[in-house]
Amino acid sequence: MTALTKAGIGGLLARQGILVAFVVFMIVFAIANPRFIDIDNVSGVIRSSAILGVMALGVTFVVIGGNLDLSVGSMMSFSTIVVLDLHDTLGPTLAIPAMFALTLCLGAFIGFLVGYLRLNSLIVTLGMLSAIHGLTLMWSGGQNMDIADKWGTWFGFFGRGSIAGVPVPILMFALAAVVLSLVLSKTPFGRKVYAVGGNGTAATFSGVPRARVVFMTYIISAACVATAGLMQASRSLGSQNTVGQGMELEVLAAVILGGASLLGGSGTIFKTVIGVLILGFIQNGLLLIGLEFYVQYVVTWVIIILAVWLDVAAKRSRLWSPIA
Amino acid sequence: MSQSTPQPIASPVEADTPPRKSRSALFVQGAIWGFVVLELIFFSVAGRFLSVSDTAFLDLDNMLLLLKQSAPIGIIALGMTIIMINGNIDLSVGATFALSAIVLLDSMTWPFMAAMGDWAIPLAWLFALGTGVVLGAINGLIVWKTGVDAFIVTLGSMLGYRGLVFMYNGEQPTSHLNWTLVDFAEAQFLGLHTATWFLLGTVLVLWLVMTRTVHGRNAYAIGNNREAAVNAGIRVGPHFLINFMLIGFLAALSAVVFYSESGSVNPNDGMLYELWAITAVVLGGTKLSGGYGSIISTLGGVIAIQLLRKGLGYIGADTETVNLVIGLILIAVLFLDRQLNRKGSEELKI
Amino acid sequence: MTRTLTAALAATTMLTGAAMAQDTMIIGITQNNVGVDSYQTTYEQAFIAAAEANDAVETVVLDAGGDVARQIAQMEDLIQQQVDAIIIWPTNGEAVIPAVRKASQADIPVIVTNSNIAEQGQDFIASFSGPDNITQGQRAAEIMCDKFKADGIETEAKIVQISGQPGYTTAIERAQGFEERLPEVCPDVELMETQPGDWNREKSQQVMEAFLTKYDDIDGVYAGDDNMGVGALNAAKAAGRAGDITFVGATNFAVGYDAMAAGEYWGSIYQSPVDDAEAALQTAIDVLNGEDVPKLNYFDTPKITQDNMQEFDKPVF
Repeated sequence: MTALTKAGIGGLLARQGILVAFVVFMIVFAIANPRFIDIDNVSGVIRSSAILGVMALGVTFVVIGGNLDLSVGSMMSFSTIVVLDLHDTLGPTLAIPAMFALTLCLGAFIGFLVGYLRLNSLIVTLGMLSAIHGLTLMWSGGQNMDIADKWGTWFGFFGRGSIAGVPVPILMFALAAVVLSLVLSKTPFGRKVYAVGGNGTAATFSGVPRARVVFMTYIISAACVATAGLMQASRSLGSQNTVGQGMELEVLAAVILGGASLLGGSGTIFKTVIGVLILGFIQNGLLLIGLEFYVQYVVTWVIIILAVWLDVAAKRSRLWSPIA
Repeated sequence: MSQSTPQPIASPVEADTPPRKSRSALFVQGAIWGFVVLELIFFSVAGRFLSVSDTAFLDLDNMLLLLKQSAPIGIIALGMTIIMINGNIDLSVGATFALSAIVLLDSMTWPFMAAMGDWAIPLAWLFALGTGVVLGAINGLIVWKTGVDAFIVTLGSMLGYRGLVFMYNGEQPTSHLNWTLVDFAEAQFLGLHTATWFLLGTVLVLWLVMTRTVHGRNAYAIGNNREAAVNAGIRVGPHFLINFMLIGFLAALSAVVFYSESGSVNPNDGMLYELWAITAVVLGGTKLSGGYGSIISTLGGVIAIQLLRKGLGYIGADTETVNLVIGLILIAVLFLDRQLNRKGSEELKI
Repeated sequence: MTRTLTAALAATTMLTGAAMAQDTMIIGITQNNVGVDSYQTTYEQAFIAAAEANDAVETVVLDAGGDVARQIAQMEDLIQQQVDAIIIWPTNGEAVIPAVRKASQADIPVIVTNSNIAEQGQDFIASFSGPDNITQGQRAAEIMCDKFKADGIETEAKIVQISGQPGYTTAIERAQGFEERLPEVCPDVELMETQPGDWNREKSQQVMEAFLTKYDDIDGVYAGDDNMGVGALNAAKAAGRAGDITFVGATNFAVGYDAMAAGEYWGSIYQSPVDDAEAALQTAIDVLNGEDVPKLNYFDTPKITQDNMQEFDKPVF
């Protein structure tokens, strides 16, 4: 925070460029279609983004720690299917902790491979993307999973309920963001995550237990995925096996948009939240002005490159790369 | 694993000169072929008990088919090897593949092309290959000029190029079935299918480039230590640009080979190809951190994956088993590879 | 988990048992994408069950995972293994034509199932067995229109469409049938917009949320299958607007049937994956037995609405 005040307004603009871009983007779309900033629409977009958002929070930890997680989409399908299945066999009260335990086991497995065995995270999580999909199909026998008594259960609370008029998914997303932001910025563990990602080897020499910190980032990621799976299951009370398919890349795009470097060591929860919201509002905004869904791919491409480029340029204080 | 003990400890400096391989490097690169042999034995034996078919798994025709079926991912993976030796990555190849395929098939229906009869075919190939080169050049230029990490640049263009694929023809498939083209693609010369010739030709050319040319030496040098390469006077930016154009070309070549035979492209085609190509490259022992890898071993990685798919189908494994096994084998191979050259990249990790 | 085990056991016993017999027919099948939805999974299970029940048949069951290259490779493998007949559920109705021709050149009859291949390939196939997706789209339009007439809003109703996975024949044909038939029966109903829901309930829910924000007046939703239709219904319920909207789907899923029973979902097309699978296998057997098989072997897919749903069993998927 002190660094921000020192840097002054220009520095703020450079550092928070993504936030500025977000505001400009919202204004443009609001002019194009006033319905865009309608409170129902805004709340609807945040609610739809909440599931992706919670996953992105976890992946932010992994990425700051210098690794990747491509397995989150597949793992989210797993959590969703498992909790829906257990809902009818164990009852909702037991199903939720059981699903969290199973999902955390998967996270621990990945964390062990990447943290302790030091295997490359891209390939490990790529392999797990496929393997977890296989596990999900085995669990469900390939069938859609539906809660038998949809209207007689309180399970829908996490995806459909609201407290004081605010949808529960938004509250959960906000709560997770605040808690994880505090963990990352105010605790010794948070500092270790930055240290490990910033320079893994140096961190080991300076006494930071790299393996354990990396392991923990995957546990946090899995916990976030389990939360997202809970929200997803609760929202639809029934699901296909492929519900999270492809989300890993959207999640990564959101984290990158927020400015977390894939080399590790940088990024914040707040910026990831902005990244998530930008993706959500792009999708919604383009639909509202009647553009085909695929136009958003191209727009996302341009925005990702511009956002990251400006971020990189601000850090080296020159626009063009020094590469010869 | 047990044989890894007497290895001389390879220092990062020694690893700088990849064409002269140490014995341990040869062993590691041979590992993927050992794995291929293991798969062949396993599926032959298991197939005897589990397969409904009367034909043996090791049947010559089946092995020729294996090579042919390896071509679409294989040609892309070969290009990916060079990109990854550079220390970069390209996630947009699947979308490049699809867009080149659309240009290939659609261009043959353009009025002036249709008027040319079968002479339109080579021209359509040129258009498709040109598309690939241009898309690759866009990635290369962005990486070069902005200095943004290739992973992010190509993650973005993976989305962007896919968007272009959809914009070209909406959600409809793009189709043009040309039987002359199909006959050419299905032909067998000296027993090998057309696609196999393209695959092997690409292997040969890229192997020569990587082991016999300055460009190949520079690729390793940049991947090993970019600063040192710059200091040695290598122009890294143009080098990257050339390699991204090369992989764009190869993604398009893969599309040309494959869609000449199938004549219709769905806008979703080629999705996940980047991940399969990367998997094949890593199975072949190429390091994601760059500076190390071999074209021949990537071919082994590609064949290993295709063999796994083919074999699991042959013994009647179901979908969930295939997913589970392929994922776990990928991790297991990575683990074995790590054990075999424990000292390899640990110190060099960025 | 247990399901997989029993399937594996059953498969082993079947194989060892069949290896003794001499005159069995070996039928290979390459499916589109098993596990992506319940329909395809139930189809596969029904197919295997039907084949097991028939001593004269052995099967090689493959899944292309939605990838056309993998499907072509599987066709080549089946030809190479010299199976007696091949059933294909095409990932792309045109791209597989050369592979189908290759099978026909090797004198292996090809039966296309569920979703037909394009015109140019018709010479190379023995038969198509499956639903008539264009008719399904037309019937869905009729269901929608009849409901509007009953409600007396056929002159002013506005609807939206949520289509299946872009590029897939089934999705294209259903949308085509619907869009052609609707103006014929209800010329004044306006189809405001179509967006794909990718056969995915969640995606469909998001698309519907955007529609609800964009349009104040939506009287009907046509979804390419019930899975997406229920996703749209969920979105409308969350927005408190479900009561004003007529939902019509296709491929009646169990969730759609339940929603119909609850009075929230109006109608659909009844299509059983078990019928689909059994029809494909029977067609292949008939072809191998030298019987005269019609080129287009449609199995019936009737309309189902809240009015007549008691005539149908609840779908198992």
